[in-house]
Amino acid sequence: MTGRPVAVSLALVVVAIIVQTTLFGDGRVQPFGASPLLVLAVVLACVRYLEPEPALLLGFTSGLLLDLLGGSPLGLWAMTYVVSVYVALRLRHRADDGAVVVAVGVGGIALMAQGLFLLASTLFGQRLLATTGLVKLVVLPALYTVVVAGFVFPLVTWLLRERTVGTWLR
Amino acid sequence: MGDGRLSRAAALMFSFRRFDRSTTLFLSLLMLSFLLATFDVRAQGTGVGSVLREGAQGVFGPVQELATAVTRPVAGFIDGVSNIAGLREEVERLRAENTELSNQLVDIQSLRNRVEELEQLNDLEPIGDLPTIPARIFALGPTDFDQVRWIDKGREHGVALGQAVIDEDGLVGRIDLVASKSARVRLITDPRLSVGVRDLATNETGWVEGLGQGELQLKMFGAAKPVQAGDRLVTDGTRFPPGIDVGTVVDAAEAEASFALVTEVEPAIHLPEIDFVKVIVGWSPLDAGEDSEPSEPETNPLVTER
Repeated sequence: MTGRPVAVSLALVVVAIIVQTTLFGDGRVQPFGASPLLVLAVVLACVRYLEPEPALLLGFTSGLLLDLLGGSPLGLWAMTYVVSVYVALRLRHRADDGAVVVAVGVGGIALMAQGLFLLASTLFGQRLLATTGLVKLVVLPALYTVVVAGFVFPLVTWLLRERTVGTWLR
Repeated sequence: MGDGRLSRAAALMFSFRRFDRSTTLFLSLLMLSFLLATFDVRAQGTGVGSVLREGAQGVFGPVQELATAVTRPVAGFIDGVSNIAGLREEVERLRAENTELSNQLVDIQSLRNRVEELEQLNDLEPIGDLPTIPARIFALGPTDFDQVRWIDKGREHGVALGQAVIDEDGLVGRIDLVASKSARVRLITDPRLSVGVRDLATNETGWVEGLGQGELQLKMFGAAKPVQAGDRLVTDGTRFPPGIDVGTVVDAAEAEASFALVTEVEPAIHLPEIDFVKVIVGWSPLDAGEDSEPSEPETNPLVTER
């Protein structure tokens, strides 16, 4: 595998972070008070076309960037994204089973990521469990992420698949 | 016995070797993340973490500002379309509020004169005279759990850690990270931020904490008088300049023996509508002392007198 897919994936993550922090959120696009996890959708889409090690590093970098630009302690989203990518790596061979399986997988990983972040935050003394409407804040973004993945996955496939045929590990 | 231990150690090493490269990397990254979080929490937002954040904001900030210029109209359009059903309700609510405010306006002038007299008597610096820096929000937190906003003014413009951020409705939050050209505001809705408040009706003090997503929670220990729905809460001057609107009590509550009074508060600010804010410079918690004079703001072309 050349460095191109990794570079493209990183570029996509950066674009996703900029869109996430400027388009989605309170006062911007936030239907029913929740926003999709666009960055996670992009990372999961890229994981399908990357070798395991670059995929894990991509997840870590993405999470770390979210930590740096957000309000949480460094490392919490990085930890969450690393776990999400690891789970995705173990499940990606099921991607050929159809769109429903992919949607369930993305939704499940998004749910797990939100839950894991809350757990990690609580362990590190953050008072996020006091947030009102917590269930809504965990479930709705996961659902929206599935919807967003419907647009992101074909785009990433178009950008990455052509040049990485034969390197897709199962 | 010794052979048994050796064989157990060998088995353990063998089991580690059985991890493939990706699992080893996964565990290493997990450990690194854990260490980062530990150090960052212990550093309390300073140190290497702060430097990294400033660096990241230095890189992303200009692009985010550019992107916001593009996405703001799109977001506004989508927000408008999604809220079209609620507009009629909003108009009716505003009409009622307008009538109420018109009635209140009559009493305000006499109250204002009285406040001025009292401020002169107590040698207090009126909040309206504190210098502020206008700023615009250009980026939000990347997830719904991040109750933070990034503003386009930073250290170069006179913004410093801990300064209060307000808008025309009241207290927005507090500066908790400053880069050269931008700064991060932790909103009052963040569960990690608490604000000392005074109930204008009872003069009792307590504090409000964010609950995320807009609501606040008022807590008062040893409150002798109950709070009523509609009571206005303002900052008490301990960590924020005194007299800034924080919110309105939603439900009446009374402190029971040995327990804190706890009730919900509607914030004075309307978070989704906040675009421009003001950073209050030239006031520090030390100014709250009776003998101390409000600190002189640095000469800055962006500073405006309110």
